[in-house]
Amino acid sequence: MAPLLSPGLANGSMIHLDAVHKVYDAGETAVHALRGIDLDVKPGEYIALMVPSGSGKSTLMHILGCLDVPTQGEYFLDGTPVSGMSSRALARIRNRKVGFVFQSFNLLPRATILRNVELPMLYAGQGRRERREHAMAALDRVGLAERAKALPTQLSGGQKQRVAIARALVNSPPIVLADEPTGNLDSKTGQEILAIFDGLQHEGHTVLLVTHDSAIAAHAHRIVRMVDGLIENGDAGEAEAAP
Amino acid sequence: MTIHESIVDGLVDVRTHKLRTFLQTLGVILGVASLVAVQGLADSGRRQATRFFSEFGGLTKLFVSNRPSKETLVTARQLASAGLTWDDVQAIKREVSWAKLVDPIVQQDLRVRYGSFLRRTEISGATPDYPAVYKFYPARGRFLTEDDLAAGSRVVVLGDTAARTYFGNEDPLGKTLYLDDVGFTVVGVMRRKEFYFGEGESHNALEWMNRMTFVPLTTVYSRFTGDDRKRVNYVNVVVDKVANNTKATEAIKATLFRRHGGVEDFEVYNRSERLRQQQEQSRMFDVIFLVTGIVSLIVGGIVIMNIMLASFQERIREVGVRKAIGAKGTDIAVQFLVEAILVTSIGGAAGLVLGVGFAQAITALLGQPAVITVQMAVIGVSASVLTGLFFGLYPAIKAARLNPVDALRYE
Repeated sequence: MAPLLSPGLANGSMIHLDAVHKVYDAGETAVHALRGIDLDVKPGEYIALMVPSGSGKSTLMHILGCLDVPTQGEYFLDGTPVSGMSSRALARIRNRKVGFVFQSFNLLPRATILRNVELPMLYAGQGRRERREHAMAALDRVGLAERAKALPTQLSGGQKQRVAIARALVNSPPIVLADEPTGNLDSKTGQEILAIFDGLQHEGHTVLLVTHDSAIAAHAHRIVRMVDGLIENGDAGEAEAAP
Repeated sequence: MTIHESIVDGLVDVRTHKLRTFLQTLGVILGVASLVAVQGLADSGRRQATRFFSEFGGLTKLFVSNRPSKETLVTARQLASAGLTWDDVQAIKREVSWAKLVDPIVQQDLRVRYGSFLRRTEISGATPDYPAVYKFYPARGRFLTEDDLAAGSRVVVLGDTAARTYFGNEDPLGKTLYLDDVGFTVVGVMRRKEFYFGEGESHNALEWMNRMTFVPLTTVYSRFTGDDRKRVNYVNVVVDKVANNTKATEAIKATLFRRHGGVEDFEVYNRSERLRQQQEQSRMFDVIFLVTGIVSLIVGGIVIMNIMLASFQERIREVGVRKAIGAKGTDIAVQFLVEAILVTSIGGAAGLVLGVGFAQAITALLGQPAVITVQMAVIGVSASVLTGLFFGLYPAIKAARLNPVDALRYE
């Protein structure tokens, strides 16, 4: 493992991006979504990535979440280089290391809430009883244990997002990656959801909040801004971080 | 994700789309029903024939008869041959090792008289082996014995109908029956034989056995024909097992060919061979059903694939979500395949029931025995599972290969 790591850079980092580029080949013109991103996130950090829409937000999010790989540069996740991984290996990483929370919740509409939360454990190959226990615990954590048998359509937006958070946490991933988690919610419900993320950080999760809203970003302990595929002066971002 | 869990997810999907599932399965239902019905009918026919044959000798009985020459000019050699004779019977007994029983019959029309009853009737000269060959035993009294044969005794055994015809309500045992004015003592009456090809069918296919009148074979020669060549009308040969039928047939032919001076004035009828030929002929019928079934299954499979692809768009996002939380390509493929197989299996189950119904209805119509066999279930289940597997494969692979980023972005 050691020779694969750039010494002093990836060691001890939960997330380490080293000059990551992403180029989409759109026929004649190549679109340069990421132009050399360097980012270092320590375990247990609560960090907000502030990216205006259309500035490579989705691309960065997909690469951080191992849904996509960089065209150039290295990405170390929990010390493991993921840039050259097979899709099968990436699926495994997503399952064990990353918990996704999406803006549009992305619950499976026909499955019960319990089933939705069990799904990551199904793909991890866990047994029935264990799955049920952990899923119920995760639902209890977000205050929805009583609604376990309900379908997503029977829930409010805030409840759906809490189910999604329960699903993201159920395999105890070191990283929770949230993409505009309050974007589809009213501000009061949004605050409730953000309160959950604040709590997660206290429980030792590394939380990455991707947003374009500075009020939301203010919840994080460090804010990193990205514009046009480049990190905007990393030090300045750190200076802004709330204590 | 395990197959079991995919089935759970698949069942949820089937439940939410009841009408869609029903329409998807129609082709499979008809296809499986057709295949199951073919199997049932073929089996019913085979059993019917086997059961009928087993009533009078089973499949190991070979029937050797004289074959009259079809040519108008008869050669000297053909004239010289006496046809089947008592000596041929002895030769077969000696030379054909697979022959368990060899039983010749000579038939002769005689005037049968008892009291006021008088009619010209065909009398059979038989040997004591006859009951064993035909599984046809006396109900009262006895059959002919070796002593009767050796002595050329004047004893007669009657079939059930023959006894009623000659004696009416009188007890024939011990009475004297006159055959061409020679007195014969009735020593036995045979058990009644019956076989009906259909339920409610009034024609007894084995009534000819009940009409038989038996005397010792030797008595026919000594009292009536005076035939010093001891010709017989036909010979039944019971082979030790069906597997040896063909070998025994060839051996009998060889023996007779040699003894008849190279003239083939006989024929050997092999029941199991005949049964096979009949099945061959009815295979055309089976093939039509089979093709119908397979075409239905293909159409059914295409419908399933079509609907899976049509509803594919609305599932792209689902695939994206599943992949985001850790589903591997194979997990997605298995899930889609299981769903396809689930749908075809539901169709297969319905088709199985329908097919059994078809088979029952047709066999009832033909008056054949009803059939429900393990093969029917095996064919129904495997045909439906294979259809699901085959036609689910393309959508499954397509889904498995979806790029998670594109799938998640899909609106």
